[in-house]
Amino acid sequence: MSVQTIPGAAAADAPQSSRWRSLVTQESVSTLVVSVIVGAAVILPLITLVVSSFKVLDSGGFDTTWGFDNYKRLFTDRIIPKAFVNTLIISFGSTVVATFFGVSLAWINARTNCPWRERLEPYNLIPFFLSPFVGAIAWHNLASSKTGLLNVWAREYLGIETHLLNVNNLWGVVWVTGIFFAPLVYLFVVGSLRRMDPSLEDSARTTGAGLFRTTMTVTLPLVMPGILSGAIIVFVTAAGEFGVPFKLSAPYGWETLTTQIFSKAVGDDANHYLGATMSMALGAICAAFIYVQQRYIAPRSFTTVTGKGFRPNVLDLGPWKWVAFGYNIAFIMVAVVMPILCLFIVSLHPVWEGRIFLNELTTINYEKTLFWWQSGAIKAATNGIYNSFFLAFVGASIAMVLSLVVSHMIHRTKGFGARLLDFLCVVPIGFPGIVLAMGVLVTYIQTPIYATLWIIMLGYITRFFPYGQRNISSVMLAISEELDQSSRMAGASWFTTLRRITIPLLKPGIFAGWVLLFIIFLRELSISIILYTSGTETLSVGVYYLANFENEPLTCALSIAQTVVLLICIIVFRRVAGREALTA
Amino acid sequence: MVNANDNRYVEVQGLVKWFGNDRAVDDISFSIPRGKFLTLLGPSGCGKTTTLMSIAGLHTIDAGSIRVGGVVYTSKAEGLFLPPEKRDIGMVFQSYAIWPHMTVAQNVAYPLEIRKVARAEIDERVAAVLRLVGLADMADKLATQLSGGQQQRTALARAIVSKPRLLLFDEPLSNLDLKLREQMRVELKRIQHEVGITSIYVTHDQAEALVMSDEIIVMSKGRIQQKGGPHQIYARPVNAYVSNFIGVANLLKGRVVEVTAPGRGAVEIEEGGRSIRLPCRLADGIGPGADAVVSIRPENVRARRENGDGRALEGEVIQAIFLGNCVDCRVRWGEYEWKVLAHPRDRLREGEKVYLRLDPEHTLAVLP
Repeated sequence: MSVQTIPGAAAADAPQSSRWRSLVTQESVSTLVVSVIVGAAVILPLITLVVSSFKVLDSGGFDTTWGFDNYKRLFTDRIIPKAFVNTLIISFGSTVVATFFGVSLAWINARTNCPWRERLEPYNLIPFFLSPFVGAIAWHNLASSKTGLLNVWAREYLGIETHLLNVNNLWGVVWVTGIFFAPLVYLFVVGSLRRMDPSLEDSARTTGAGLFRTTMTVTLPLVMPGILSGAIIVFVTAAGEFGVPFKLSAPYGWETLTTQIFSKAVGDDANHYLGATMSMALGAICAAFIYVQQRYIAPRSFTTVTGKGFRPNVLDLGPWKWVAFGYNIAFIMVAVVMPILCLFIVSLHPVWEGRIFLNELTTINYEKTLFWWQSGAIKAATNGIYNSFFLAFVGASIAMVLSLVVSHMIHRTKGFGARLLDFLCVVPIGFPGIVLAMGVLVTYIQTPIYATLWIIMLGYITRFFPYGQRNISSVMLAISEELDQSSRMAGASWFTTLRRITIPLLKPGIFAGWVLLFIIFLRELSISIILYTSGTETLSVGVYYLANFENEPLTCALSIAQTVVLLICIIVFRRVAGREALTA
Repeated sequence: MVNANDNRYVEVQGLVKWFGNDRAVDDISFSIPRGKFLTLLGPSGCGKTTTLMSIAGLHTIDAGSIRVGGVVYTSKAEGLFLPPEKRDIGMVFQSYAIWPHMTVAQNVAYPLEIRKVARAEIDERVAAVLRLVGLADMADKLATQLSGGQQQRTALARAIVSKPRLLLFDEPLSNLDLKLREQMRVELKRIQHEVGITSIYVTHDQAEALVMSDEIIVMSKGRIQQKGGPHQIYARPVNAYVSNFIGVANLLKGRVVEVTAPGRGAVEIEEGGRSIRLPCRLADGIGPGADAVVSIRPENVRARRENGDGRALEGEVIQAIFLGNCVDCRVRWGEYEWKVLAHPRDRLREGEKVYLRLDPEHTLAVLP
């Protein structure tokens, strides 16, 4: 057998080109380019935010001096300290609510013989995909003290004098945020509950511990890392939530850090530097919590799980299974069915006074908010439809390309660059959208992308591409590196390997990540609200505009439209991603 | 054209690879003649896979050079690094790495497609190589429908289809069950012989190494312990490590007290306050007065009920396990337990007194 030389491969003949090639490869160039992009996108806004927070605006509102006055104002201002306290109350409160619902529902679904539990699961997760802001609008119409549907009925049928419920306060925010973020805890817990070795529980039962005692002393402690992780994520997400306090509590005197940051970013009272300082404070709290979660809690999450893929025995609850079933149905009613139904009812009325008038039902609200070709259309609402679909489609696509290269670098190349990128992918998760948006605003306000859709897209991608990256990474970790290596050994270049082997194998992860980002971008509020201008409204900004400047029925009509689109996306997502693809 | 010296077709010189603060490969040099089958043998963490990955180009190296067929694959001194896809190597991975989104035929055709071979020729060569590995009727199966052994054959077909300069095997049989493993050893060897491609095979399984290799390199802690043919490695280990790693051996510490002829002499060992002199062969590098380890294979120890000439070692059988063709015995001799393979017809029983006789031809003094 004779040895053939491949054309161009004879390194002995061409040492110079080989030496040069060892530095400039497809892999190293792509890696460098993507690292620079990701690094700049993540780090620049944070640096500008830090710098801006030390600039103090003078009384005239034009010149700035350096100093700590903004930080002093965090403590001496008339509103900010209260907003700080309110934010903490909301975060703690909704963490308790979300953890209670999330853990109990996960336990019912994964460990008990609750009837039809497989059918119930997707409905438990729906709030995760919907907009909490829309949820707040719905609950406002269900339970505001005067016109809330539930209160009107309570007065009418139960003879209650004033009102049964009132969500226009901090507790209303805690309630709505809590039920909307319950699926987050659910997702963190349900996987390990489902994969848990049933003999751990069985051995507790054999020692004489009852069902309740076993659950409390064995089952829940075993999944405690998952519960803590979920709780911390809820705490941080709730602290950064803008829409719910903006709708339910701010108009009634309970400001939060996010609503204060918003008021400093736009409007008459604008002071970007003070806004940056408040963002720093909020960001620091959230980043600290996420650091603890990533560093100390997440790594322990899998210690309770055995590797075997068996379906564990479930606990027989006896007649109590119907109580569990009822409880689960009640959650779905409260979190999904009642809010959507209420929005729908209100949206069909020309004006809303807390009463249903069947003979006055109309579609005029949908025409004014959706039919952009009609002369009576409200531009701020109809613009959002086009803008949001553009942002979601293009944004999700760009983010997934970035995610793909970043995941490849993290998991297939070792060394300093990989660890740095891994870190850069966690940073955006630690900062609430409104904080990052504030950073993006002060960074790019003087550049041509300000006041375009591109600045919003930049904010979206920077904040959320780690979600897509995680989707790809989880698939990539399951695929042996040898599949890539054997393609290189077969003579394929890095890029050919990516195109013919890596991407086809990652297809499910890529598509699931894309749909997830599409959903997130379609409902995004807290970044858009800081970065939009007239003409670049998004769907959620449109809802904000209607809620602020128009009436409730118009608001509800656009909310329903957004919700319907999101529900369709959820069905698609479940088709492509399967049951447990969501665990963040 | 390449002017390869056929005796040094593959040439690895001074190879060093660091992982953090660990020297995974510590100054390794060896060469392989064209067409031969070399095995890198050692426990996990000995640097054998790192050496293989360096040859494949999947790792960069920290010092040394690798040349194959006159082509420089990598040379730290000259600053050369040929990317893996330019090295013209076929490789079989531990996990087989069969692409699950392609059929068997597509998997095997891939290296030819990359080399832009004409379609008709691809079909012809894929069919031929699938016949060679015994998968002719599996061409259109998806990789996920294959058994472990079939995936193994597919991986082998994919590695040899482009007639590469070099074949690399990274523990390819370790995921198969015992029976299949034994069958594949023979078959791999047959196919390698048929296609005649120089091969490097990495394994921790000494039986595999003995069956398949023209030459074996025993590695430990990033260094080469010994290089040689299977028979030489087994019968003439150079040190206690190799002796213990390949097969089973009784190892006794002692000192060389006499050299009677080149490569022959005697070792004195201390046992229970007594000094006992054992005539033996001396491995290279063992001189008079040197500390040494005496290595004796269990099958070379004779256990008898009579003392005979009075020079045998007296011990007691503490375990005798009947294995069919032999009896695996443990014999207590002072504080030392001998491993002895006895013939079944000797019917040694536990608790019995026996006399062990050693053959000086098969008693070897090696470096500690």
